[in-house]
Amino acid sequence: MREPHRVRVGYIPLTDCAPVVMAALKGHDRRHGIHIELTRAPSWAAIRDGLITGALDAAHALYGLVYGVEMGIGTSPQAMAVLMTLNRNGQAITLTRRLFERGVTDGTSFARLIRADPRRYTFAQTFPTGTHALWLYYWLASHGVHPFRDIGNLTVSPPQMVAHLASGSIDGYCAGEPWNAHAVERGTGFTVATSQGIWPEHPEKVLACAEPFVSAQPAVACALIRAVLEACRDLDTEQGRREAAQALSGPDYLDVPAMVLEDRLQGRYVDGLGGAWVDAHPVRFHDHGQVNYPWLSDGMWFLTQFKRWGLLASHPDYVSVARRVNRIALYREAAAELGIPTPEAEMRSAVLMDGRVWDGSAPQAYAEGFAIQGMMWSDAA
Amino acid sequence: MPRSKDPSTAPEPLRVMIVDSDPERSRNLRGALTLAGYRVVAELRESIALPDAVQGLKPHIVIVAADSPDRDTLEHISLTTRNAPRPVVMFTQDGGAETIRAAVKAGVSAYVVDGLSPERIRPILEVACARFEAHQALAERLAETERKLAERKAVERAKGLLMQRRGLSEDEAYRELRRLAMQTGKRLGEVAETLLAAAHLL
Repeated sequence: MREPHRVRVGYIPLTDCAPVVMAALKGHDRRHGIHIELTRAPSWAAIRDGLITGALDAAHALYGLVYGVEMGIGTSPQAMAVLMTLNRNGQAITLTRRLFERGVTDGTSFARLIRADPRRYTFAQTFPTGTHALWLYYWLASHGVHPFRDIGNLTVSPPQMVAHLASGSIDGYCAGEPWNAHAVERGTGFTVATSQGIWPEHPEKVLACAEPFVSAQPAVACALIRAVLEACRDLDTEQGRREAAQALSGPDYLDVPAMVLEDRLQGRYVDGLGGAWVDAHPVRFHDHGQVNYPWLSDGMWFLTQFKRWGLLASHPDYVSVARRVNRIALYREAAAELGIPTPEAEMRSAVLMDGRVWDGSAPQAYAEGFAIQGMMWSDAA
Repeated sequence: MPRSKDPSTAPEPLRVMIVDSDPERSRNLRGALTLAGYRVVAELRESIALPDAVQGLKPHIVIVAADSPDRDTLEHISLTTRNAPRPVVMFTQDGGAETIRAAVKAGVSAYVVDGLSPERIRPILEVACARFEAHQALAERLAETERKLAERKAVERAKGLLMQRRGLSEDEAYRELRRLAMQTGKRLGEVAETLLAAAHLL
């Protein structure tokens, strides 16, 4: 028998690294003739550099990060590829208990406090071109708060968030799970918004690689998609989620109690202010392949926000960029082999929290149509 | 940005900031850097102090441990601080020459220093600075070209708008834009963009 092809896959310890981790732990990789070698990365910058230098073949990555590298934001432009979407939903914005003591319980009361006392509060996200930065900015701006002028804004790695919130050095953050559930459990913070409350069924992490990997070894890339797709399919069952919560809670991965992980993984939320609900848009890994299909409009949305916040000086050719990054054809091939249906369309439609419709049809007008936008430069230092 | 180019003044030592959560590793690096003639302005242990430290101490170079989660914090600072972007140099004890070559070739704004001996640090930091400056210059030229292109497009669209809405000829539309630019002391492209944005609102 032929030796399975080794594929080095990087991930950041977060609940939604489950697809790549479970693909390896459950042996889906072997069944498709590959061997996934997992590498836990210390930072998103390390994931990016690993993909660019070839130290990693593929990775669990923030959707926006991949498009940021493609466009040369913060580095020289590098051709990147999105092989599939790993999940939707399941991120959140946490605020410190101290803000609750000042009367903040939701976006409206939060905005009132910030407007009364601008630039006094500091909020963190996880990477400058990442999804959490963009969810946080979208939520703030929808409440009339400018993310660069009205608040302090910095990047902090997710496992450090709760400690910084407790010490008072930040007043809130947007990050992936389990770090929001963790703050609620510790009593240091409360969940003021979920990312699915900002955009129901938003795309979140992707399986990414650098373009040379997929063009040199399309068959290996296709096998990797199949293995991770199978893991995603498992993860949309209650049993699959329970297994993942158990596995990820271990010291090699997240090193937190399985219960902290499992509740939100199953869609069960408590917000730390007495609210509890089963979410209509919980973290989703598959949904008959609807989640995993690399919709062009999903990728394009991140470009519109880069333009909105001045990370891009001019409008890119939105559709062309998405078409070369998102490997729809390769994904279709992998999905077909597993009998997973794929949509005909390349765009999907969504209504975000501010009522604006995003369907990929007029990206330039969409990017220009926000009341709050502008450069993220600070002229200090 | 780095040392003075005027030979009559004594060169000011390059100001270096170290970011590493491992105190012993950080201390060793500080010793090696000091011996190599650099001035270590701070040794930071965690990300939260970084924005203020970078702003206050104005290091020429930031050196960060390759395995540090604070690399993401530095990414944000260098992206959002327009005036003084600075090279970020990574260090690791196990980084092989191959990794360094790959990172340099790919143009990521980070370099790997393997080993901490003073005689090896200087050439690597010098190469890092030189490459960073070259990359910066290239990025600025690119941004300038993009801006000009975008402005030219905006001028064309604004001319079209004036022709359509006011029934002007192309020449008249252009003269009108130029008149507005002179009147407001702005560039032609800026005036065109303002006009287009206003039209978009109506």
